[in-house]
Amino acid sequence: MKKILFLISFCATILVGCDKEISLVLDNNNPTLVIDGSITDQAGPYFVQLSLSTPITTPTTIVGVNNARVIISDQTGVKDSLLFVSNGLYKTQKIKGIEGGTYNLEVVVDQKKYTASATMPKKVNLDSLRINTFPFNGEIRYSVIPVYTDPVTLGNSYRFIQKINDTLDPTFHVFDDNLNNGKVNQRPLRGGDDNLKVKLKDNVFVEMQCISNASYLYYNSLNQQSGAGPGGGTAPSNPPSNIEGGALGIFSAHTVQRKTITIR
Amino acid sequence: MRYKIYVFCFLIFLGADFATATAQQTLVLSGSVRDKQTGESLIKAVVRIQELPSAGIISNEYGFYSLSLPKGNYSVVVTQVGYETLIQKIKLDSSQSINFYLQTKNVLKEVVVESSRKNDNLTKAQMGTETINMSSINKVPVIFGEKDLLKTIQLLPGVKSAGEGNSGFFVRGGSADQNLILLDEAPVYNATHLLGFFSTFNSDAIKDATIIKGNSPSQYGGRLSSVLDVKMKEGNNQNYTVNGGLGLISSKLSIEGPLQKNKSSFILSGRRTYADVFLKATEKFKDNILYFYDLNAKANYQINAKNKIYISGYFGRDELGLGQDFGIDWGNKTGTIRWNKIISNKLFLNTSLIYSDYNYNVKLKNGETNFNINSNIKDLNLKQDYTFYANGANTLRFGFNSILHTIKPSTFSGTVINSVSKEGRNGFENALYLTNNYRANSQFTIDYGVRLSMYTLMGGDVYNVYQNGIVNSSVKLSRSSFGKTYVNPEPRITTNFRINDETSIKAGYARNIQHLHLLSNAVASSPSDQWIGNSYNIKPEVADQWSVGYVTKVFKSNFEFTAEAYYKYLQNQIDYKDGAEINTVSDVESVLLYGIGRAYGVELLLKKKEGRFTGWIGYTLSKTERKIDGINGNNWYNARQDRTHDISVVGIYDLNQRWSISGVFVYNTGDAVTYPTGKYTLQGQTLYQYAARNANRMPAYHRLDFSATYEKNKTKRMHGSWNFSLYNVYGRENAYRISFKDDPNNPTRTQIIRTALFKWVPSVTYQFKF
Repeated sequence: MKKILFLISFCATILVGCDKEISLVLDNNNPTLVIDGSITDQAGPYFVQLSLSTPITTPTTIVGVNNARVIISDQTGVKDSLLFVSNGLYKTQKIKGIEGGTYNLEVVVDQKKYTASATMPKKVNLDSLRINTFPFNGEIRYSVIPVYTDPVTLGNSYRFIQKINDTLDPTFHVFDDNLNNGKVNQRPLRGGDDNLKVKLKDNVFVEMQCISNASYLYYNSLNQQSGAGPGGGTAPSNPPSNIEGGALGIFSAHTVQRKTITIR
Repeated sequence: MRYKIYVFCFLIFLGADFATATAQQTLVLSGSVRDKQTGESLIKAVVRIQELPSAGIISNEYGFYSLSLPKGNYSVVVTQVGYETLIQKIKLDSSQSINFYLQTKNVLKEVVVESSRKNDNLTKAQMGTETINMSSINKVPVIFGEKDLLKTIQLLPGVKSAGEGNSGFFVRGGSADQNLILLDEAPVYNATHLLGFFSTFNSDAIKDATIIKGNSPSQYGGRLSSVLDVKMKEGNNQNYTVNGGLGLISSKLSIEGPLQKNKSSFILSGRRTYADVFLKATEKFKDNILYFYDLNAKANYQINAKNKIYISGYFGRDELGLGQDFGIDWGNKTGTIRWNKIISNKLFLNTSLIYSDYNYNVKLKNGETNFNINSNIKDLNLKQDYTFYANGANTLRFGFNSILHTIKPSTFSGTVINSVSKEGRNGFENALYLTNNYRANSQFTIDYGVRLSMYTLMGGDVYNVYQNGIVNSSVKLSRSSFGKTYVNPEPRITTNFRINDETSIKAGYARNIQHLHLLSNAVASSPSDQWIGNSYNIKPEVADQWSVGYVTKVFKSNFEFTAEAYYKYLQNQIDYKDGAEINTVSDVESVLLYGIGRAYGVELLLKKKEGRFTGWIGYTLSKTERKIDGINGNNWYNARQDRTHDISVVGIYDLNQRWSISGVFVYNTGDAVTYPTGKYTLQGQTLYQYAARNANRMPAYHRLDFSATYEKNKTKRMHGSWNFSLYNVYGRENAYRISFKDDPNNPTRTQIIRTALFKWVPSVTYQFKF
């Protein structure tokens, strides 16, 4: 569907579209707690970042929440109180993430409690990365395809973090297996950002995460809202999150695999 | 049970009146009303009797009329806007069939949006209805100079555009899919070309169009908000003519003529855009494809004085492509065969067999792999419609409509995926209807009736039954078997009370039911929009609309002023969950959410229909809200198209025999949208925080367009005209989209970017006829 949205903006461009910065009077929310926590199958420590949302007009910065009590526990009875590092960042001391494990996060800030639960999916092996080329408006474009075989059971979700020469691709690449359940993936990581084209000789780093369906929904709604449809795609809202208690953000338990490829 | 009561009341009402009417010996005057030059039948012409002020009838869709009168000598007055009034003396001593031929008025004095007769709006019970005559919209300026029915309709109060340059529209707070768009009775599922910038209606092939904003008579049904009934031209049955137009964006050509003089005719009309020709000229875009074409064809054949057959068809297709990489094509096909039969001088029957098909295909190619998406919806539709001119006071209309829908949801295929061949779902939609138009006296008219609509789920697919979002059970129906049936009565009533020659008041109530629903993840129409029928979870959408109206002549009867107020309550509205992929999810019903809606408002229209200066001022004050379980904390929120104020001003002035000028000004409150109320950083990216849905506003939209038409001297053979127009005269950059992003020069600062589509769009069109 992205494609169609892209096409609409393409048509719009040839009909002399025009972008201009404007100012608007915006309402401001009270600062809201943002929780960004994850636990992976890699060696710890794992981190939970707590911050507060800020008004649109102020410079974007992480306003850390430093007075919280943060606990991650698992089903084996391990209960890990996280240590404060700096500016709202907390790290685990002993808990270990394993495939299939369920983890509970508890955050208490000013006597207010927030909880989340996440189960780490089984790892699907990232076999390799390969290069996909296609002609586009008279030039050759490149993209990277992560090669993995989706398991036969339906309902696997993946997230890919892509860095092109150490620059983070801002697209949230999330795949489900609605269409290619049980197949070898052939879908490329195609960024929506024209300023971040993959070129010859670029080094592309890809981190593959096997994520839960809740995480998929979270990132996919962020993607849909960034869509460039008429009037701005779907009506934006805070993405559906697995955090209870009214905080923004996500607590994810996922596996991690990393690979790099050079475009040639 | 409730509908039995409605039917009962209906019969009582009718019966009482029959008893009084049959006491009198009456004769019948019937026939048809036609254009003298072309032989086209004239719809909604008024046939009345000078000597009997309460006797009068409006010709039907095929120009047929029937009047019950006592024996006597009469002057029959036949009027139709755009035509010279015809007064014909007749001696009625037995029932007679007479055809009336009207002479067109000087084109210069033609009128733009019109009701069919000077006092028409005062005497008809119909509410919220406007008829647009295609031959008269030529002079209204439109974007790209492409005269467009749907964009002209958007200038009427209560009808709102789906966006800049867009042919999609919203009526009285309804969604875009809640408009029933009929082309010669065939439903058109996607009425736009080129992602909404053009309508599927080639104005050269269209005779007229009527929009009814929710209070439609019971022969119409299936959509909640409005009926847009578009009639194709029949073709000239006197002479061969060729019409054409050359524009910057598209060109078109129509040929019409008699098959048998006076008896039968045909019209063939085609149109094609050539934006892709310009694309080919640029190095960067030379591999891209972007065009559409459409073809309208119609023929009619008069078997004898009592039987006539019409065959009409439409075929349109859009093609878009980006090199080898991506392509999408979509289009509608419709076909209608109609058989008019005059059973007696009081009973008119039309039988229609209608076919309608909409489909789209998306092709994606990615190096060695390819991927296709396609979807289609097909209707086979049989309709019988009787009009019974019972007596001077009652005209009954009744009939049935059976539609077999075949809906194939988005299906994916390709080398890299599991080609899930989703079974199409069938639905069987049936309706019975009965309406009586009762003229109690010259002051009071009432239209009352009921439509009984039924929708039966049919086999071909598994229907899951969800409870709180979890599959509770599932029903597998084999291909030809029937599942659940929804039965909904739709009572409708409109009344008109004429206070005096200048003023009348109206009131109405209507219930409308919709069995097919559009799932769209874009605000405006997109070719990949998916239709879905009722199921065990999706219930028929219901709209109840109450309205009152006031019509009066002002300023020495030169202007007509109309005010209408409405309140509409919507049930079983559909939306879907955040983050859901409605196109790829295996059962789309698992991600749907349901709720209610309400819309209310006041519409004012001041219109001048005759003279050198014509035009109108329309103003709408309205509110449109939705409340969906699972959205916005289950609270009411503004629908996106909730625009508080909406103003349109249209003016056309004939300077002299050759030049006429026209202008359009529109102003509306910006769409209801959701702006962020805060921001935060997550994994190195700036994300935005939102509060209530659609609680903010886009900047107000306003625009002025101007056009001038130059008519060349008519020669015997050839007639040509030039139209020059400028869209958005003062170059306002109206916001099409507002987006928030990091300032590339200072990433900690958030930029608010307004995207505008068009600044000035000049165009020139040459129109010819010979």
